[in-house]
Amino acid sequence: MLKKYGKVMLSVLMSGLLLVSVSTANAADQSLADTKIVLQISDPNPFKQTLVLNVANNLIKHYGQDQVDIEIVAFGPGLRLLFADNANKGRVSSLAGSGVKFSACANTQKAMTKLLGHPPVLHDKAVTVGAGIVRIVDLTSKGYLLVKP
Amino acid sequence: MSSFKKKLLLGLCTASAIAMTSQSASAANWLMLQGTERPGQAPRAKVWGFAQVQYQKDNSDACLTGCGGAATGYVSPKLIGPNLDNQEAFNVNRARIGVRGTGMPLDSKVNYFVLAEFGNNGITAGNDGKILSDASITLNHIEGARMRLGLFKTPGFEEGLQAIHVFDYINFTSVGNQLMLERHALSTDTNQGATQTPNVGANRYSRSVGAFRDVGVQIFDTFGDDKHEIAYAVMYGNGNGLNYSDNDDNKDIYAYLSSEWIFGGKGPRREGLKVFAWYQDGKRTNAYNTAQETDRTRSGLGIKYLQKPFRVTAEYLTGEGMIFQGQHRPQHLYNQEKADGYYVDLGWYIPGTNWEIDARYDSYTRGENHPNTPLTGDGDSTFDTITIGTQYHFNKKTRINIEYADRDFKSDAPVVNANLEGVGGRFAVQVTHIF
Repeated sequence: MLKKYGKVMLSVLMSGLLLVSVSTANAADQSLADTKIVLQISDPNPFKQTLVLNVANNLIKHYGQDQVDIEIVAFGPGLRLLFADNANKGRVSSLAGSGVKFSACANTQKAMTKLLGHPPVLHDKAVTVGAGIVRIVDLTSKGYLLVKP
Repeated sequence: MSSFKKKLLLGLCTASAIAMTSQSASAANWLMLQGTERPGQAPRAKVWGFAQVQYQKDNSDACLTGCGGAATGYVSPKLIGPNLDNQEAFNVNRARIGVRGTGMPLDSKVNYFVLAEFGNNGITAGNDGKILSDASITLNHIEGARMRLGLFKTPGFEEGLQAIHVFDYINFTSVGNQLMLERHALSTDTNQGATQTPNVGANRYSRSVGAFRDVGVQIFDTFGDDKHEIAYAVMYGNGNGLNYSDNDDNKDIYAYLSSEWIFGGKGPRREGLKVFAWYQDGKRTNAYNTAQETDRTRSGLGIKYLQKPFRVTAEYLTGEGMIFQGQHRPQHLYNQEKADGYYVDLGWYIPGTNWEIDARYDSYTRGENHPNTPLTGDGDSTFDTITIGTQYHFNKKTRINIEYADRDFKSDAPVVNANLEGVGGRFAVQVTHIF
Protein backbone atom coordinates (compact mmCIF):
# COMPACT_ATOMS: atom_id res chain seq x y z
CA MET A 1 0.00 0.00 0.00
CA LEU A 2 2.75 2.34 1.02
CA LYS A 3 4.71 1.36 -2.10
CA LYS A 4 1.71 2.08 -4.33
CA TYR A 5 1.16 5.41 -2.54
CA GLY A 6 4.80 6.27 -3.14
CA LYS A 7 4.51 5.56 -6.87
CA VAL A 8 1.46 7.81 -7.12
CA MET A 9 3.26 10.58 -5.27
CA LEU A 10 6.27 10.24 -7.57
CA SER A 11 4.03 10.41 -10.64
CA VAL A 12 2.31 13.51 -9.34
CA LEU A 13 5.65 15.11 -8.53
CA MET A 14 7.09 14.33 -11.97
CA SER A 15 3.96 15.62 -13.69
CA GLY A 16 4.17 18.75 -11.63
CA LEU A 17 7.78 19.30 -12.56
CA LEU A 18 6.96 18.71 -16.22
CA LEU A 19 4.14 21.22 -16.08
CA VAL A 20 6.33 23.78 -14.39
CA SER A 21 9.01 23.16 -17.00
CA VAL A 22 6.59 23.52 -19.92
CA SER A 23 4.97 26.59 -18.46
CA THR A 24 8.42 28.15 -17.93
CA ALA A 25 9.34 27.40 -21.53
CA ASN A 26 6.06 28.84 -22.72
CA ALA A 27 6.60 31.90 -20.56
CA ALA A 28 9.86 32.47 -22.40
CA ASP A 29 7.99 32.54 -25.69
CA GLN A 30 4.97 34.40 -24.39
CA SER A 31 5.92 37.99 -24.10
CA LEU A 32 3.95 40.84 -22.68
CA ALA A 33 5.99 43.36 -24.62
CA ASP A 34 4.27 45.30 -27.38
CA THR A 35 7.12 44.84 -29.83
CA LYS A 36 8.83 41.57 -30.53
CA ILE A 37 11.80 41.30 -32.82
CA VAL A 38 13.91 38.35 -33.88
CA LEU A 39 17.28 39.29 -35.36
CA GLN A 40 18.98 36.83 -37.67
CA ILE A 41 22.77 36.57 -37.87
CA SER A 42 23.96 33.96 -40.35
CA ASP A 43 26.51 35.95 -42.31
CA PRO A 44 30.30 35.38 -42.19
CA ASN A 45 30.97 39.11 -42.52
CA PRO A 46 32.30 40.32 -39.15
CA PHE A 47 30.77 43.73 -39.77
CA LYS A 48 27.35 42.06 -39.60
CA GLN A 49 28.13 40.93 -36.07
CA THR A 50 28.66 44.48 -34.98
CA LEU A 51 25.61 45.61 -36.94
CA VAL A 52 23.22 43.12 -35.37
CA LEU A 53 24.38 44.13 -31.89
CA ASN A 54 24.00 47.80 -32.79
CA VAL A 55 20.46 47.16 -34.04
CA ALA A 56 19.53 45.37 -30.82
CA ASN A 57 20.98 48.22 -28.81
CA ASN A 58 19.09 50.81 -30.84
CA LEU A 59 15.81 48.93 -30.44
CA ILE A 60 16.20 48.89 -26.67
CA LYS A 61 17.05 52.56 -26.66
CA HIS A 62 14.00 53.42 -28.75
CA TYR A 63 11.33 51.22 -27.20
CA GLY A 64 12.69 50.76 -23.71
CA GLN A 65 13.95 47.56 -22.19
CA ASP A 66 10.52 46.48 -20.90
CA GLN A 67 8.63 47.31 -24.07
CA VAL A 68 10.51 45.22 -26.57
CA ASP A 69 11.47 41.56 -26.71
CA ILE A 70 14.56 40.85 -28.75
CA GLU A 71 16.00 37.50 -29.60
CA ILE A 72 19.12 37.12 -31.71
CA VAL A 73 19.24 33.78 -33.48
CA ALA A 74 22.68 32.79 -34.75
CA PHE A 75 23.27 29.99 -37.20
CA GLY A 76 25.66 29.10 -39.99
CA PRO A 77 28.78 31.29 -40.10
CA GLY A 78 26.92 33.81 -37.95
CA LEU A 79 27.24 31.51 -34.94
CA ARG A 80 30.74 32.94 -34.45
CA LEU A 81 29.05 35.89 -32.78
CA LEU A 82 28.27 33.62 -29.86
CA PHE A 83 31.71 32.09 -29.52
CA ALA A 84 33.03 32.52 -26.00
CA ASP A 85 36.15 34.35 -27.18
CA ASN A 86 34.40 36.61 -29.68
CA ALA A 87 35.74 40.16 -29.62
CA ASN A 88 32.19 41.34 -28.87
CA LYS A 89 31.68 39.06 -25.90
CA GLY A 90 31.40 42.07 -23.60
CA ARG A 91 28.62 43.57 -25.69
CA VAL A 92 26.80 40.23 -25.79
CA SER A 93 26.91 40.08 -21.98
CA SER A 94 25.73 43.65 -21.72
CA LEU A 95 22.78 43.13 -24.07
CA ALA A 96 21.87 39.91 -22.29
CA GLY A 97 21.74 41.96 -19.13
CA SER A 98 19.24 44.21 -20.87
CA GLY A 99 17.00 41.25 -21.64
CA VAL A 100 18.17 40.31 -25.14
CA LYS A 101 18.10 36.55 -25.71
CA PHE A 102 20.76 34.79 -27.73
CA SER A 103 19.95 31.51 -29.44
CA ALA A 104 22.57 29.24 -30.91
CA CYS A 105 21.68 26.72 -33.61
CA ALA A 106 22.37 23.12 -32.56
CA ASN A 107 22.73 21.95 -36.15
CA THR A 108 25.43 24.51 -36.79
CA GLN A 109 27.21 23.46 -33.62
CA LYS A 110 27.22 19.85 -34.80
CA ALA A 111 28.66 20.83 -38.16
CA MET A 112 31.30 23.00 -36.53
CA THR A 113 32.20 20.21 -34.13
CA LYS A 114 33.08 18.03 -37.10
CA LEU A 115 35.28 20.75 -38.56
CA LEU A 116 36.96 21.74 -35.31
CA GLY A 117 37.28 18.30 -33.79
CA HIS A 118 35.56 19.57 -30.66
CA PRO A 119 32.35 21.49 -29.91
CA PRO A 120 32.67 25.25 -30.21
CA VAL A 121 32.83 26.96 -26.84
CA LEU A 122 29.88 29.32 -26.64
CA HIS A 123 29.16 32.43 -24.62
CA ASP A 124 27.51 31.61 -21.33
CA LYS A 125 24.48 33.68 -22.31
CA ALA A 126 23.87 31.65 -25.46
CA VAL A 127 21.01 29.15 -25.31
CA THR A 128 21.10 26.23 -27.71
CA VAL A 129 18.00 25.76 -29.86
CA GLY A 130 17.27 22.88 -32.20
CA ALA A 131 17.70 24.61 -35.52
CA GLY A 132 18.22 28.30 -35.95
CA ILE A 133 15.88 28.64 -38.91
CA VAL A 134 13.14 26.65 -37.16
CA ARG A 135 13.50 28.86 -34.12
CA ILE A 136 12.98 31.90 -36.34
CA VAL A 137 9.89 30.36 -37.98
CA ASP A 138 8.45 29.53 -34.55
CA LEU A 139 9.05 33.04 -33.26
CA THR A 140 7.56 34.70 -36.34
CA SER A 141 4.48 32.53 -35.98
CA LYS A 142 4.16 33.94 -32.46
CA GLY A 143 4.17 37.50 -33.65
CA TYR A 144 7.89 38.27 -33.77
CA LEU A 145 9.06 40.47 -36.61
CA LEU A 146 12.07 39.03 -38.41
CA VAL A 147 14.88 41.46 -39.17
CA LYS A 148 18.13 40.49 -40.85
CA PRO A 149 20.50 43.45 -40.63
CA MET B 1 75.15 42.83 -18.76
CA SER B 2 74.50 46.51 -19.10
CA SER B 3 72.19 48.36 -16.77
CA PHE B 4 69.76 48.90 -19.60
CA LYS B 5 69.62 45.17 -20.30
CA LYS B 6 69.03 44.45 -16.61
CA LYS B 7 66.16 46.92 -16.45
CA LEU B 8 64.61 45.50 -19.59
CA LEU B 9 64.94 41.95 -18.29
CA LEU B 10 63.36 43.02 -15.00
CA GLY B 11 60.53 44.60 -16.94
CA LEU B 12 59.96 41.48 -18.99
CA CYS B 13 59.95 39.35 -15.85
CA THR B 14 57.34 41.67 -14.39
CA ALA B 15 55.27 41.32 -17.53
CA SER B 16 55.54 37.54 -17.29
CA ALA B 17 54.37 37.64 -13.70
CA ILE B 18 51.42 39.76 -14.69
CA ALA B 19 50.68 37.29 -17.46
CA MET B 20 50.00 34.65 -14.85
CA THR B 21 47.43 36.76 -13.09
CA SER B 22 45.86 38.85 -15.80
CA GLN B 23 43.50 38.06 -18.59
CA SER B 24 44.48 38.75 -22.12
CA ALA B 25 42.87 41.90 -23.43
CA SER B 26 41.77 42.46 -26.98
CA ALA B 27 44.12 45.41 -27.01
CA ALA B 28 44.98 47.75 -29.81
CA ASN B 29 48.69 48.35 -29.93
CA TRP B 30 51.17 47.78 -32.76
CA LEU B 31 52.07 44.28 -31.64
CA MET B 32 48.44 43.26 -31.46
CA LEU B 33 47.19 45.30 -34.41
CA GLN B 34 49.72 43.80 -36.78
CA GLY B 35 50.06 40.34 -35.31
CA THR B 36 46.56 39.29 -34.30
CA GLU B 37 42.95 39.37 -35.43
CA ARG B 38 39.78 40.02 -33.47
CA PRO B 39 38.65 36.65 -32.07
CA GLY B 40 35.50 35.27 -33.64
CA GLN B 41 35.42 38.07 -36.19
CA ALA B 42 38.37 37.64 -38.53
CA PRO B 43 37.45 36.99 -42.14
CA ARG B 44 39.08 34.26 -44.15
CA ALA B 45 40.81 36.90 -46.30
CA LYS B 46 40.53 40.62 -45.86
CA VAL B 47 42.12 42.45 -48.77
CA TRP B 48 43.53 45.84 -47.86
CA GLY B 49 46.30 48.21 -48.77
CA PHE B 50 47.25 51.79 -49.39
CA ALA B 51 48.95 54.05 -51.90
CA GLN B 52 51.14 57.08 -51.28
CA VAL B 53 51.99 59.49 -54.07
CA GLN B 54 54.39 62.28 -53.32
CA TYR B 55 56.30 65.24 -54.64
CA GLN B 56 59.55 66.40 -53.07
CA LYS B 57 61.87 69.27 -53.80
CA ASP B 58 65.27 69.60 -52.19
CA ASN B 59 66.66 73.12 -51.95
CA SER B 60 70.23 72.12 -51.14
CA ASP B 61 73.14 73.80 -52.81
CA ALA B 62 75.45 71.32 -54.51
CA CYS B 63 78.37 73.69 -53.82
CA LEU B 64 79.87 72.98 -57.24
CA THR B 65 82.07 76.00 -56.84
CA GLY B 66 82.27 75.77 -53.10
CA CYS B 67 80.04 77.07 -50.32
CA GLY B 68 82.61 79.08 -48.50
CA GLY B 69 85.02 76.17 -48.68
CA ALA B 70 86.22 73.64 -51.22
CA ALA B 71 84.02 72.80 -54.19
CA THR B 72 82.13 69.52 -53.69
CA GLY B 73 79.01 68.40 -55.52
CA TYR B 74 75.90 66.30 -55.15
CA VAL B 75 75.77 63.85 -52.25
CA SER B 76 72.87 61.76 -50.96
CA PRO B 77 71.41 64.26 -48.41
CA LYS B 78 70.97 66.72 -51.28
CA LEU B 79 69.06 64.31 -53.50
CA ILE B 80 65.61 62.73 -53.47
CA GLY B 81 65.47 59.04 -52.62
CA PRO B 82 65.36 56.25 -53.27
CA ASN B 83 67.08 56.82 -56.62
CA LEU B 84 69.09 59.82 -55.40
CA ASP B 85 69.52 61.17 -58.90
CA ASN B 86 67.56 64.43 -58.80
CA GLN B 87 66.51 67.24 -56.49
CA GLU B 88 62.88 67.36 -57.51
CA ALA B 89 60.61 64.43 -58.22
CA PHE B 90 57.14 62.98 -58.24
CA ASN B 91 57.14 59.46 -56.92
CA VAL B 92 54.74 56.63 -56.16
CA ASN B 93 56.47 56.09 -52.87
CA ARG B 94 54.36 53.26 -51.56
CA ALA B 95 51.74 51.04 -53.17
CA ARG B 96 51.00 48.12 -50.94
CA ILE B 97 48.38 45.46 -51.12
CA GLY B 98 47.89 42.77 -48.56
CA VAL B 99 45.66 40.03 -47.26
CA ARG B 100 45.08 39.14 -43.65
CA GLY B 101 42.67 37.06 -41.62
CA THR B 102 42.35 33.49 -40.52
CA GLY B 103 42.39 30.61 -42.98
CA MET B 104 39.80 28.78 -40.91
CA PRO B 105 37.41 31.39 -39.47
CA LEU B 106 36.07 28.93 -36.90
CA ASP B 107 39.47 28.78 -35.25
CA SER B 108 40.50 32.16 -33.88
CA LYS B 109 43.76 30.75 -32.62
CA VAL B 110 45.54 30.99 -35.94
CA ASN B 111 45.82 34.06 -38.16
CA TYR B 112 48.06 35.33 -40.95
CA PHE B 113 49.31 38.60 -42.47
CA VAL B 114 50.72 39.03 -45.97
CA LEU B 115 51.70 42.37 -47.53
CA ALA B 116 53.45 43.19 -50.82
CA GLU B 117 55.11 46.46 -51.83
CA PHE B 118 54.95 47.78 -55.40
CA GLY B 119 56.00 51.39 -54.76
CA ASN B 120 59.36 53.00 -55.45
CA ASN B 121 61.32 53.23 -52.21
CA GLY B 122 64.21 51.74 -50.29
CA ILE B 123 62.33 48.47 -49.89
CA THR B 124 61.87 47.83 -53.58
CA ALA B 125 65.18 49.33 -54.70
CA GLY B 126 67.18 46.42 -56.00
CA ASN B 127 64.15 44.16 -56.07
CA ASP B 128 62.67 44.87 -59.48
CA GLY B 129 60.10 47.24 -58.01
CA LYS B 130 58.20 44.68 -55.99
CA ILE B 131 58.81 42.69 -52.86
CA LEU B 132 56.92 40.82 -50.18
CA SER B 133 57.37 42.96 -47.09
CA ASP B 134 55.37 40.85 -44.63
CA ALA B 135 54.41 37.20 -44.50
CA SER B 136 53.62 35.86 -41.05
CA ILE B 137 51.52 33.34 -39.18
CA THR B 138 50.45 33.86 -35.57
CA LEU B 139 49.59 31.01 -33.22
CA ASN B 140 47.44 32.17 -30.30
CA HIS B 141 47.19 28.89 -28.44
CA ILE B 142 49.06 29.82 -25.28
CA GLU B 143 47.56 32.62 -23.26
CA GLY B 144 50.25 35.12 -22.46
CA ALA B 145 52.63 33.75 -25.08
CA ARG B 146 51.33 34.19 -28.59
CA MET B 147 53.78 33.13 -31.25
CA ARG B 148 54.32 34.97 -34.54
CA LEU B 149 56.51 33.38 -37.18
CA GLY B 150 57.77 34.65 -40.51
CA LEU B 151 58.67 38.04 -41.94
CA PHE B 152 57.28 41.03 -40.05
CA LYS B 153 58.18 44.26 -38.27
CA THR B 154 60.56 43.77 -35.40
CA PRO B 155 59.57 45.04 -31.95
CA GLY B 156 61.43 48.30 -31.61
CA PHE B 157 61.27 52.05 -31.93
CA GLU B 158 57.92 53.73 -32.37
CA GLU B 159 58.55 55.39 -35.72
CA GLY B 160 59.44 52.07 -37.31
CA LEU B 161 57.00 49.82 -35.51
CA GLN B 162 53.95 51.92 -36.19
CA ALA B 163 51.86 51.39 -39.31
CA ILE B 164 53.44 53.58 -41.97
CA HIS B 165 50.14 54.59 -43.53
CA VAL B 166 49.23 56.49 -40.35
CA PHE B 167 52.68 58.04 -39.95
CA ASP B 168 52.20 61.77 -39.36
CA TYR B 169 55.14 62.83 -41.55
CA ILE B 170 56.43 62.05 -45.02
CA ASN B 171 60.11 61.54 -44.24
CA PHE B 172 61.66 59.68 -41.34
CA THR B 173 63.74 61.38 -38.71
CA SER B 174 67.51 61.27 -39.21
CA VAL B 175 67.88 58.96 -36.23
CA GLY B 176 65.21 56.68 -37.64
CA ASN B 177 66.60 56.74 -41.15
CA GLN B 178 70.24 56.34 -40.23
CA LEU B 179 70.34 54.41 -36.99
CA MET B 180 67.33 52.11 -37.34
CA LEU B 181 66.64 51.66 -41.06
CA GLU B 182 69.30 49.09 -41.67
CA ARG B 183 71.19 48.90 -44.95
CA HIS B 184 72.56 45.64 -46.28
CA ALA B 185 75.59 45.82 -48.54
CA LEU B 186 76.84 43.45 -51.19
CA SER B 187 80.53 42.89 -51.80
CA THR B 188 80.16 44.53 -55.20
CA ASP B 189 78.77 47.78 -53.74
CA THR B 190 81.32 50.57 -53.87
CA ASN B 191 81.57 54.08 -52.46
CA GLN B 192 81.07 57.18 -54.51
CA GLY B 193 82.12 60.73 -53.79
CA ALA B 194 80.27 63.90 -54.56
CA THR B 195 79.29 64.19 -58.21
CA GLN B 196 79.12 67.19 -60.51
CA THR B 197 75.67 66.28 -61.82
CA PRO B 198 72.78 64.90 -59.78
CA ASN B 199 71.76 62.20 -62.23
CA VAL B 200 74.74 59.94 -61.54
CA GLY B 201 72.79 58.35 -58.71
CA ALA B 202 74.13 58.36 -55.19
CA ASN B 203 72.41 55.17 -54.04
CA ARG B 204 75.30 52.74 -53.93
CA TYR B 205 73.48 49.93 -52.10
CA SER B 206 72.20 47.14 -54.31
CA ARG B 207 70.07 45.45 -51.67
CA SER B 208 66.86 46.78 -50.19
CA VAL B 209 66.79 48.43 -46.80
CA GLY B 210 65.78 46.30 -43.82
CA ALA B 211 62.44 48.13 -43.50
CA PHE B 212 62.48 47.54 -39.71
CA ARG B 213 61.67 43.91 -40.46
CA ASP B 214 63.21 40.52 -39.97
CA VAL B 215 62.41 36.84 -40.41
CA GLY B 216 62.12 34.92 -37.18
CA VAL B 217 59.87 33.99 -34.30
CA GLN B 218 58.31 36.38 -31.82
CA ILE B 219 56.63 35.58 -28.51
CA PHE B 220 54.32 38.37 -27.42
CA ASP B 221 51.06 39.32 -25.78
CA THR B 222 49.16 42.09 -24.06
CA PHE B 223 47.64 42.07 -20.61
CA GLY B 224 45.25 44.36 -18.86
CA ASP B 225 41.86 45.86 -19.47
CA ASP B 226 40.34 48.79 -21.32
CA LYS B 227 42.00 51.26 -18.96
CA HIS B 228 45.58 50.04 -18.84
CA GLU B 229 47.60 47.43 -20.60
CA ILE B 230 51.09 46.05 -20.68
CA ALA B 231 52.52 44.58 -23.85
CA TYR B 232 55.72 42.64 -24.33
CA ALA B 233 57.56 40.95 -27.17
CA VAL B 234 60.74 38.98 -27.50
CA MET B 235 61.98 37.95 -30.92
CA TYR B 236 64.71 35.76 -32.33
CA GLY B 237 65.50 36.42 -35.97
CA ASN B 238 67.94 36.20 -38.84
CA GLY B 239 69.02 39.81 -38.71
CA ASN B 240 68.98 39.86 -42.49
CA GLY B 241 66.19 42.29 -43.26
CA LEU B 242 63.62 41.36 -45.86
CA ASN B 243 65.54 38.34 -47.09
CA TYR B 244 63.70 35.11 -46.47
CA SER B 245 66.81 33.25 -45.36
CA ASP B 246 69.91 34.11 -43.39
CA ASN B 247 73.36 34.93 -44.76
CA ASP B 248 75.30 33.77 -41.70
CA ASP B 249 74.94 31.84 -38.45
CA ASN B 250 74.43 34.93 -36.34
CA LYS B 251 70.98 35.62 -35.00
CA ASP B 252 69.43 38.80 -33.62
CA ILE B 253 67.47 39.14 -30.42
CA TYR B 254 64.80 41.77 -29.89
CA ALA B 255 62.96 42.73 -26.71
CA TYR B 256 60.13 45.21 -26.24
CA LEU B 257 58.00 46.32 -23.30
CA SER B 258 55.29 48.94 -23.14
CA SER B 259 52.79 50.18 -20.61
CA GLU B 260 49.83 52.20 -21.77
CA TRP B 261 47.06 54.05 -20.02
CA ILE B 262 44.13 54.05 -22.41
CA PHE B 263 41.89 57.08 -22.70
CA GLY B 264 39.57 55.76 -25.41
CA GLY B 265 39.09 54.86 -29.03
CA LYS B 266 40.62 51.94 -30.85
CA GLY B 267 42.93 51.06 -33.69
CA PRO B 268 46.03 52.94 -34.83
CA ARG B 269 44.84 56.26 -33.43
CA ARG B 270 43.70 55.01 -30.05
CA GLU B 271 44.13 57.70 -27.44
CA GLY B 272 46.35 57.02 -24.48
CA LEU B 273 49.66 57.54 -22.76
CA LYS B 274 52.26 54.92 -23.62
CA VAL B 275 55.77 54.47 -22.28
CA PHE B 276 58.01 51.92 -23.90
CA ALA B 277 61.54 50.54 -23.99
CA TRP B 278 63.25 48.17 -26.38
CA TYR B 279 66.55 46.48 -27.12
CA GLN B 280 68.06 44.80 -30.17
CA ASP B 281 71.33 42.92 -30.48
CA GLY B 282 73.02 41.01 -33.28
CA LYS B 283 76.09 40.52 -35.44
CA ARG B 284 76.68 41.10 -39.13
CA THR B 285 79.13 39.36 -41.41
CA ASN B 286 81.19 41.87 -43.38
CA ALA B 287 80.17 41.62 -47.02
CA TYR B 288 83.65 42.73 -48.07
CA ASN B 289 85.51 40.43 -45.69
CA THR B 290 83.44 37.42 -44.68
CA ALA B 291 85.94 36.47 -41.98
CA GLN B 292 85.04 39.61 -40.06
CA GLU B 293 81.96 40.07 -37.90
CA THR B 294 80.56 43.31 -36.58
CA ASP B 295 78.28 43.80 -33.60
CA ARG B 296 75.06 45.70 -34.07
CA THR B 297 73.29 46.90 -30.91
CA ARG B 298 70.35 49.26 -30.66
CA SER B 299 68.21 50.37 -27.72
CA GLY B 300 65.77 53.07 -26.85
CA LEU B 301 62.96 54.33 -24.73
CA GLY B 302 60.13 56.69 -25.37
CA ILE B 303 56.73 58.06 -24.58
CA LYS B 304 53.68 58.75 -26.65
CA TYR B 305 50.69 60.81 -25.57
CA LEU B 306 47.61 61.18 -27.69
CA GLN B 307 44.41 62.79 -26.57
CA LYS B 308 42.87 65.02 -29.15
CA PRO B 309 43.50 67.76 -29.88
CA PHE B 310 47.09 67.11 -28.73
CA ARG B 311 49.77 64.57 -29.54
CA VAL B 312 53.28 64.35 -28.10
CA THR B 313 55.86 61.71 -28.93
CA ALA B 314 59.44 61.62 -27.73
CA GLU B 315 62.03 58.90 -28.02
CA TYR B 316 65.73 58.53 -27.31
CA LEU B 317 67.75 55.96 -29.22
CA THR B 318 71.31 54.77 -29.03
CA GLY B 319 73.35 52.29 -31.00
CA GLU B 320 76.76 50.81 -31.55
CA GLY B 321 78.18 49.07 -34.57
CA MET B 322 76.97 49.07 -38.17
CA ILE B 323 76.51 52.82 -38.05
CA PHE B 324 75.26 53.98 -41.44
CA GLN B 325 77.66 56.37 -43.14
CA GLY B 326 75.54 57.56 -46.03
CA GLN B 327 73.81 55.98 -48.98
CA HIS B 328 76.89 56.70 -51.10
CA ARG B 329 79.34 54.93 -48.74
CA PRO B 330 78.42 51.22 -48.33
CA GLN B 331 82.07 50.29 -47.85
CA HIS B 332 82.08 52.23 -44.57
CA LEU B 333 79.07 50.37 -43.16
CA TYR B 334 80.90 47.70 -41.19
CA ASN B 335 82.20 49.67 -38.23
CA GLN B 336 82.05 49.82 -34.45
CA GLU B 337 81.11 53.48 -34.30
CA LYS B 338 78.61 54.76 -31.76
CA ALA B 339 75.59 56.94 -32.37
CA ASP B 340 72.62 58.33 -30.54
CA GLY B 341 69.72 60.63 -31.18
CA TYR B 342 66.23 61.63 -30.26
CA TYR B 343 63.11 63.19 -31.62
CA VAL B 344 60.21 65.16 -30.20
CA ASP B 345 56.99 65.33 -32.15
CA LEU B 346 54.05 67.61 -31.40
CA GLY B 347 50.67 67.44 -33.05
CA TRP B 348 47.61 69.62 -32.77
CA TYR B 349 44.30 68.57 -34.28
CA ILE B 350 42.53 71.84 -34.99
CA PRO B 351 39.15 71.43 -33.27
CA GLY B 352 36.14 71.41 -35.53
CA THR B 353 38.21 70.97 -38.70
CA ASN B 354 39.92 68.19 -40.63
CA TRP B 355 43.29 69.89 -40.27
CA GLU B 356 46.14 69.09 -37.99
CA ILE B 357 49.43 70.84 -37.44
CA ASP B 358 52.62 68.88 -36.86
CA ALA B 359 56.04 69.95 -35.65
CA ARG B 360 59.02 67.73 -35.06
CA TYR B 361 62.57 68.22 -33.96
CA ASP B 362 65.09 65.44 -34.37
CA SER B 363 68.77 65.27 -33.65
CA TYR B 364 71.25 62.54 -34.49
CA THR B 365 74.97 62.26 -33.82
CA ARG B 366 77.10 59.51 -35.25
CA GLY B 367 80.75 58.63 -35.16
CA GLU B 368 82.49 58.90 -38.50
CA ASN B 369 84.01 55.83 -40.06
CA HIS B 370 85.96 58.01 -42.40
CA PRO B 371 89.68 57.19 -42.56
CA ASN B 372 91.33 59.33 -39.93
CA THR B 373 94.26 61.04 -41.56
CA PRO B 374 95.67 64.48 -40.97
CA LEU B 375 93.90 65.48 -44.16
CA THR B 376 90.46 64.09 -43.41
CA GLY B 377 90.39 64.47 -39.65
CA ASP B 378 88.15 62.63 -37.24
CA GLY B 379 85.03 63.32 -35.17
CA ASP B 380 81.29 63.13 -35.08
CA SER B 381 78.65 64.21 -37.53
CA THR B 382 75.46 65.83 -36.31
CA PHE B 383 72.14 65.98 -38.13
CA ASP B 384 69.52 68.36 -36.71
CA THR B 385 66.18 68.83 -38.41
CA ILE B 386 63.07 70.85 -37.69
CA THR B 387 60.05 69.68 -39.63
CA ILE B 388 56.86 71.72 -39.80
CA GLY B 389 53.88 70.09 -41.43
CA THR B 390 50.16 69.98 -41.80
CA GLN B 391 47.69 67.28 -42.66
CA TYR B 392 44.23 67.57 -44.11
CA HIS B 393 41.97 64.55 -43.77
CA PHE B 394 39.56 64.33 -46.71
CA ASN B 395 38.00 61.39 -44.93
CA LYS B 396 39.17 58.66 -42.57
CA LYS B 397 41.01 56.90 -45.37
CA THR B 398 42.42 59.77 -47.38
CA ARG B 399 44.68 62.62 -46.37
CA ILE B 400 47.30 64.98 -47.66
CA ASN B 401 50.58 65.75 -45.86
CA ILE B 402 52.49 68.92 -46.55
CA GLU B 403 55.78 69.46 -44.78
CA TYR B 404 58.96 71.45 -44.87
CA ALA B 405 62.16 70.26 -43.22
CA ASP B 406 64.86 72.72 -42.23
CA ARG B 407 68.11 70.78 -41.91
CA ASP B 408 71.34 71.63 -40.19
CA PHE B 409 73.94 68.97 -40.94
CA LYS B 410 77.59 69.28 -40.01
CA SER B 411 80.64 67.19 -39.17
CA ASP B 412 83.89 67.47 -37.27
CA ALA B 413 85.54 65.51 -40.08
CA PRO B 414 86.48 68.16 -42.66
CA VAL B 415 85.89 66.00 -45.74
CA VAL B 416 82.44 64.95 -44.53
CA ASN B 417 81.65 68.47 -43.43
CA ALA B 418 82.50 69.79 -46.86
CA ASN B 419 79.94 67.42 -48.37
CA LEU B 420 77.32 68.52 -45.85
CA GLU B 421 77.87 72.19 -46.63
CA GLY B 422 74.91 73.47 -48.58
CA VAL B 423 72.38 70.94 -47.31
CA GLY B 424 69.21 72.97 -47.16
CA GLY B 425 65.49 72.68 -46.68
CA ARG B 426 63.28 70.07 -48.25
CA PHE B 427 59.64 70.51 -49.25
CA ALA B 428 57.35 67.50 -49.57
CA VAL B 429 53.70 66.81 -50.34
CA GLN B 430 52.10 63.41 -50.13
CA VAL B 431 48.61 62.02 -50.62
CA THR B 432 47.73 58.79 -48.84
CA HIS B 433 44.72 56.66 -49.60
CA ILE B 434 43.96 53.53 -47.62
CA PHE B 435 41.56 50.90 -48.90
